[in-house]
Amino acid sequence: MRVLKIVPERCTGCLRCELACSYVQTGEYQPAKSVIRVSPFEGHTSYAPYTCTQCAEGWCMTACPVGAITINGAGAKDVVDDLCVGCKLCTIACPYGTMFYDPATRKAFKCNLCGGAPACAEACPTAAIVYEDVATQDWLGDFAAERFERVLVGAH
Amino acid sequence: MATRHLIIGGGTAGMNAMRAIREEERERSEITLVSAEKPYSRMVLPYYLDRSIAESHVFTAAAAVLAQWGVKAHLGRRAAHLDVKANACTLDDGTKVEYDDCLVATGSAPVRPPIPGADGAGVHSFWTLDQCRELIAHITPGSHVVMVGAGFISFTILNSILALGAKLTIVEIAPRILPRMIDATGAELTQRWLTQHGVAVRPGVKLTKIEDARGKKRLRFAAGSDLVADVVIMATGIRANIDWLKDSGITIGRGIVVDDRLRSTVPNVYAAGDVAEGRELIAGQPEVHAIEPTSQEHGRVAGSNMAGTDVRYRGSLLMNIVEVCHLDIASFGAWEDAKAEAVSGLKPDRPAYRKLLFTGDRLTGAIILGPSSEIWTTNDVGMLKGLVQSGVSLARFKDHLRRNPFDIKPAFIAAKTTSALLPETVLGRPSKAPGTTPVAV
Repeated sequence: MRVLKIVPERCTGCLRCELACSYVQTGEYQPAKSVIRVSPFEGHTSYAPYTCTQCAEGWCMTACPVGAITINGAGAKDVVDDLCVGCKLCTIACPYGTMFYDPATRKAFKCNLCGGAPACAEACPTAAIVYEDVATQDWLGDFAAERFERVLVGAH
Repeated sequence: MATRHLIIGGGTAGMNAMRAIREEERERSEITLVSAEKPYSRMVLPYYLDRSIAESHVFTAAAAVLAQWGVKAHLGRRAAHLDVKANACTLDDGTKVEYDDCLVATGSAPVRPPIPGADGAGVHSFWTLDQCRELIAHITPGSHVVMVGAGFISFTILNSILALGAKLTIVEIAPRILPRMIDATGAELTQRWLTQHGVAVRPGVKLTKIEDARGKKRLRFAAGSDLVADVVIMATGIRANIDWLKDSGITIGRGIVVDDRLRSTVPNVYAAGDVAEGRELIAGQPEVHAIEPTSQEHGRVAGSNMAGTDVRYRGSLLMNIVEVCHLDIASFGAWEDAKAEAVSGLKPDRPAYRKLLFTGDRLTGAIILGPSSEIWTTNDVGMLKGLVQSGVSLARFKDHLRRNPFDIKPAFIAAKTTSALLPETVLGRPSKAPGTTPVAV
């Protein structure tokens, strides 16, 4: 299965991924509605995008009481809008914090790999997000661990 | 001869167990379901109450679908007696069902305090589909609804009652609201929020009587003024449906005692969901967690074991989330643990609250409140769950979280929580999508 491989060292924090994501997912250029989120590190001197890993368990999917989260053609866990009632069980079940909720539609939403053509990867100018056939993994852990103390803790 | 599985209870645990059996079995087995009601999801009833979904949306398997799954269903029947020596269950109509193994997933039922008038006509509960239908018929725009009990169940229908145009008063005997879900600070913030949104909240009051008052209901209290209501809803707790097993020989503590394969003390009788007293994730002690996620996981693990795939359950994690008037309220794990090191942050104006409970370097409990319109709330809800579930060491990040309990994400990522979580699956394999095997909808 192809997944979103994140190479955090290449991220410049330009936020094109968030713009592209929100446009494809919601029809609006509205980063607030993006399901890939760029986080700052080292006091905004480095950045990395964070999104759903499409984990094997699919905690969101198994938690849904009405079967509203399924696996789409790209292998991504995907919310079926017509079935989602907005009960938020998926948001407490997902241990990665990659479920989202839209108060306007009262529905959950998440990364669905844009059905197999992820807009974030296409929009990324530095190939920090690559859509590749690799095993999903913790792309940001080492990067963040290395930077965490330098600024957030070391500064004090 | 095909193995005969008997599933008693068509709720979340039972449905998930049947699905896991069909997913895991190597040879087609016989599945018999006994369910007092046509299977539906109680979680989504609040959305039917305010008509944001149709009634058909609540059902998790119609009779035709059950037939298609090869499930022989006794719907509208209750199990009355379990003979664990003869491996047979007698139903309330006298039907006898023999089994090779059996799952008890009979769930819970609402209980009402012994207050005069509390069981009278016109006093409602909200638990079953029938009770939901009754409420739909009674709540009208402008009517005054009094909800007795400020716990999780009453909070799940709070938005719906307001959406129906009713005026709402909530009374609670405990000194604060949501006493089993959040701490005093969270409760205070929530109460203020509800008051701002036009909901009257009266904690610390003892209801003594419910009387008829010319077509309405008058509620009397040990102290304080009476309330007159058009509709009274008793949301005063639930109790596991296990009395029918009292003489079965199965060991029952606070629930049916189960091992980490969800087996009771009678090896071919399993129990799952609200009726089961099983391993809890954080401390590893036996607990009854009457929550939807535990029912799901219990059901799947029990079903896998019944189908012959050996699966050990890591334990259930206490977790709850409810949204009232666009305020998300959630808690995880040992949020009430007085021995834990607590770190908290409060921003009353936003409003937002985080409470992190550490045992050593692990996060063992958490409380989070925040506006549901803020993605940070939703994302933090999940990450707090991940930190508690994975038990990763936060040794390097504790100082930072003490200073800023709202800045969870960098700590979550840098603690390599994702690495710890990725290999984890409940059944020891990737989950299958609903629809590929018998499941909801």
